[in-house]
Amino acid sequence: MNLERVPNEEKLGLCRKYYLAGFAFLPFLWLVNVVWFFKEAFLKPVYTEQLQIQTYVKRSGLGLLFWVTVLTTWITIFQHYRAEWGEVGDYLSFTIPLGIP
Amino acid sequence: MDLLSNKWIVNLLVSWFFIGVGCNSVEKKIYVHLNYTVPCVRLLNATHQIGCQSSLSGNVGVLHVLESEENVDWVLGTGANPPYLVILESALFTRSIMMKLKNGSGRVAGVAVIMPNANPLEGFSPHTSCPNENTGVYSETYDPSLAHCNVTMWNPFGNGLSYEEFDFPIFSMKDDNDTRVIRQCYMDHNRGGNGSVPQYPLCAMQLYSHMSAVTDTATCMRRNDLNLSLSPEMICDPLGDYNVWAATRPLNTTAKGHKTGESVVVAAARLDSRSFFFDVAPGAESGVSGFVSLLAAASALKTVIQEAPPNRTIFYTFFQGETFDYIGSSRMVYDMENKQFAVDLDNVHSVLEIGQVGLRADSKLWLHSDPVSRKNDSVNDEVNKLITNLHSAAVNLSVSVEEPNVSQPLPPSSFQRFLRARPIPGLVIEDHKSSFTNRFYESMYDNADHLNMSYPANLTQEEQLEFVTETAKALTEVATLVARALYIQAGGAEAQLRNINADPEIVTRMLYGFLVRTNNTWFQQLVPSDLMSHLGDRPTNFYVGVAQQTSEPTLLVQYLLANMTGSHFNISQENCKNQREDEKDEESKHMYSYMWVQGTVPPNNTEREGFCVRSTVRLSKALSPAFDLKEYTSKDYSTWTESRWKVIKGRIFLVASPDLEMMTLGVGVGVLITSLLLTYIMSSKADILFSSGREPANATY
Repeated sequence: MNLERVPNEEKLGLCRKYYLAGFAFLPFLWLVNVVWFFKEAFLKPVYTEQLQIQTYVKRSGLGLLFWVTVLTTWITIFQHYRAEWGEVGDYLSFTIPLGIP
Repeated sequence: MDLLSNKWIVNLLVSWFFIGVGCNSVEKKIYVHLNYTVPCVRLLNATHQIGCQSSLSGNVGVLHVLESEENVDWVLGTGANPPYLVILESALFTRSIMMKLKNGSGRVAGVAVIMPNANPLEGFSPHTSCPNENTGVYSETYDPSLAHCNVTMWNPFGNGLSYEEFDFPIFSMKDDNDTRVIRQCYMDHNRGGNGSVPQYPLCAMQLYSHMSAVTDTATCMRRNDLNLSLSPEMICDPLGDYNVWAATRPLNTTAKGHKTGESVVVAAARLDSRSFFFDVAPGAESGVSGFVSLLAAASALKTVIQEAPPNRTIFYTFFQGETFDYIGSSRMVYDMENKQFAVDLDNVHSVLEIGQVGLRADSKLWLHSDPVSRKNDSVNDEVNKLITNLHSAAVNLSVSVEEPNVSQPLPPSSFQRFLRARPIPGLVIEDHKSSFTNRFYESMYDNADHLNMSYPANLTQEEQLEFVTETAKALTEVATLVARALYIQAGGAEAQLRNINADPEIVTRMLYGFLVRTNNTWFQQLVPSDLMSHLGDRPTNFYVGVAQQTSEPTLLVQYLLANMTGSHFNISQENCKNQREDEKDEESKHMYSYMWVQGTVPPNNTEREGFCVRSTVRLSKALSPAFDLKEYTSKDYSTWTESRWKVIKGRIFLVASPDLEMMTLGVGVGVLITSLLLTYIMSSKADILFSSGREPANATY
């Protein structure tokens, strides 16, 4: 969808939907929201709904950052200690690499 | 003119065709694949992993033919082109060199050992010096002073290499064309003149033996069960096979547990062996000498048992997987204890085990017994009776029996597993008084040559099969002794003893069959047609293998034992294959087993005349109880598993210097970037470059 051809109220509605849906453990929606509406929120000339869009984009960005941190930390810990955890590590894994602990 | 150009076109097409066909051989031009490669594979037990593995994409290293032990420094320190793939002559395949390479800090990509055509003079055993140390009877609870081979180090040549873990692949190769190519490649490319650094391109080798399992048996069995992914993969399999057993009186195998009034004399031998490498396990002295003697003894007892049956039953049993912490015997004892077997331990009168008997010096055999259980008077009396019986069996034979020092414990033997359950009287017959006479215990050199089996030159295969070697004569004596001793032990009359004589013809054929060529006319007669494909022009491999497949030695021993103790039975092929004597017979299969074997080709005929053999021969599972109990960290039972793998192969090729490789890559990347830039410029300036005056297409969307 080309945002250029969408009226401002609809833009706000879309941005709001993506922002709210992101709370359902869907950080990728926040990522899309940030990328998609960044220009609208910060670079376009001022219009009435822009302030609200800015808030949603900022919050989406923060949420995204939170998820990235959490996931990175967990993945680092998991990859580092999977072998050490033994049984638990195996049960937490979906695919287990062959030939290495 | 026209004709000429047509000719040219045809020529051109034909040559293109040939170029096209030849194109798929680029790989062949780069790589030389090795035909005969035997890897060392990964095995796991409750606590450790042993063996070797390569990385997933194979280990590549510059070839280096090791000339002496000092030369290791080149590989580990001074050589300029690590990692190296070390080619070892078998004489250098020693513990000290292998351990140096193992700790070689990444400078070793792999090792290839060239197997010699003749055995070395000094001893070599990659096994431990105290085989099956922790699963025999001698432990901290039984008699601490005898545990861990404190009294006798049974295998003094044992260097434990088979039980080490290597993180690079180790292959063995036959000394033939392949190794000639390798040496030539090394000589041509990798030896700088007068000690100078050799110039690229260098000759390199790549070995693939990536193993799926890792850490220990508990880990890999757990991962076997965790099949979350879309294509579930097995990672390891328990070692195991089948024990072969037969009784001189048919035992109802459907009725398990104790049999009232039954008393059996167990005559045991072990079937399996191993070496450092995966499927080279000739086991001539460690396995074959013992079980061939027992088979020949069973054959010698056949007629006398029909004519003058003794009052006890003789129970022949051949244990599989004994090398790996007594898999077969521990399973049979476990089944007997849990009423899952045709007899139970109360039915066992005594045990006579035939160990390594192929290399006896001074025609002496040694009767080993367990000093701990003999402290009990009743057991001691029975053991003494058994010894007396063996002495009277040896009368008029060229072989004599003696007892070693009374305080010496039993050598590694299946009988130890019976003693773990209860103090059963028994003896183990060996050719050694204390430590093994076998210099090549569980090694690739424990072959026909080691037993001094030699045939006169210019014999055909058929003549070799029939030729009675000195080894066969010696083992025939042992077999006669065993047969007579078993007969008296089972309560037979001594007057019958001179009628019990093992047949040297049978012994020599068995030795030839197991140690030289399984695909011989005698074995062909005695097996069913579907076993023919297993027979080959090579010695039998006695490695036990994984439990899913029945190995070749088990099947061969099963049919040999059936033919030697059973009888021709005149029934149709259909009835024979359905385990019945006539159409209504439902009972016989509980007592006997029926096997349809190929038989001989009668003269003036082309088809074999098969026949049915009725015998009491049975197979019983030789899978460690640890896997049924799911106790993968068991200290009592064998926990050995074998890792699975996908590719085992090796190839050699020439490698360019890293500088040249990087330059090629750099040029490639450069060309790519230039072409991208060029395309971008061309497309952005398209209207200038391709201004043909045409109307630009109006994009509407």
